[in-house]
Amino acid sequence: MAGLFKWSVRKSDAAPAAAPPAVSPEPALTASKVLPRFLAVVSHQPAPVLVDLGGVVGANVSFFGDRLSCRLIVEDLVALVEAHAKRPGPGGLSAAFAKQLGTLEPESVDGILCWDLFDYLDRKTGQELAARLATLLKKGGALYGFFGTTPAELTHYTRFVVQAPDAFRHRRYPATPTRRQVLMNRDLAKMFEGLTVAESVLLKTGARETLFRKS
Amino acid sequence: MWKRDEAVRPPQPASSPSPGVGPESSTTRVDLSRSSERDIVNIGKSVVIKGELSGSEDLTIEGQVEGKIELRQNVLTIGPNARIKAQVFAKTVVVQGEVHGNVTASERVEIRDSGSVDGDLSAPRVAISDGAHFRGSIDMQRQGQVAKPDMPKAGEARSTAAASPTVSVAAASGSSSAPVR
Repeated sequence: MAGLFKWSVRKSDAAPAAAPPAVSPEPALTASKVLPRFLAVVSHQPAPVLVDLGGVVGANVSFFGDRLSCRLIVEDLVALVEAHAKRPGPGGLSAAFAKQLGTLEPESVDGILCWDLFDYLDRKTGQELAARLATLLKKGGALYGFFGTTPAELTHYTRFVVQAPDAFRHRRYPATPTRRQVLMNRDLAKMFEGLTVAESVLLKTGARETLFRKS
Repeated sequence: MWKRDEAVRPPQPASSPSPGVGPESSTTRVDLSRSSERDIVNIGKSVVIKGELSGSEDLTIEGQVEGKIELRQNVLTIGPNARIKAQVFAKTVVVQGEVHGNVTASERVEIRDSGSVDGDLSAPRVAISDGAHFRGSIDMQRQGQVAKPDMPKAGEARSTAAASPTVSVAAASGSSSAPVR
């Protein structure tokens, strides 16, 4: 009968529509002014060599491979930070970093992706790592990283997923809580002795997106 | 490639492994069961191979291989149960299991979310799924062709052949049993 008279079902009679499954929203895109410069520097090298100090991100591998036809060396120092936070090893974190990076020859790398690794390091460890990274870079090479500007208890790590030459997304995953060491501009300049700050942009997140060059 | 004078039986179905091939055997006889009309060969979970594995058809490995795998014109799939300690050369490599060793592909390397690779990758295209484990370097520099594996010197070849038997995966036509070298 309803079909004959085309009685429409009153909204109140209608069974409530099933709620769509909850979907965690895709993290917002973050624009980058510094990443394009990093890419420009590295792309000038024939067959560039990049070192990624974070965990492997498939999207980044595809992105850098397609864009740069590079050799990408993944040295997940963030994993070492987490392992050390849970159970400190003999010699400390610096020794673990030195062992992990020991296979890389000095002046063999065109670009280094630090992401926000230094936020999780104490000053001494950061200093030692920065010095080592500076030796790994070729002349003209570039180091790209993020440095927090506010003290905070860090309870997560961040994966930076490059979506475009000038944009990326953050993906967070749990971390053993650690206190962020804030590095001022002069601290960075001193820490990365041998490198010069080519560009530094303060993001809305409060992090300083920075590009270092080795002259 | 196929030595018919050797006592080689036809391949058994995957559920019943050939007699004489035990789970810990390092003999060169391998239970190769064909999964479809296409030239795809499967190496089962219980199979252990130590030596060089080469061939001219697609291959799926679910067992253990130690040594070298070479399928220059074909697709190599390393299944979720596979444990590989070898240098790998293929046209395309799909990793769903565990690999310790370098992987070289002329077209593509893909590491699925269940895959784990400790070693260097070399391919024009590399895809790594979320959740996959990887440690090493990824060489996506355009080189034209896959790097040819180092050819052993004459002296080394003889000693290698004696110490590490070679298993070949035969072409489809005219072959009904696994080759043995």
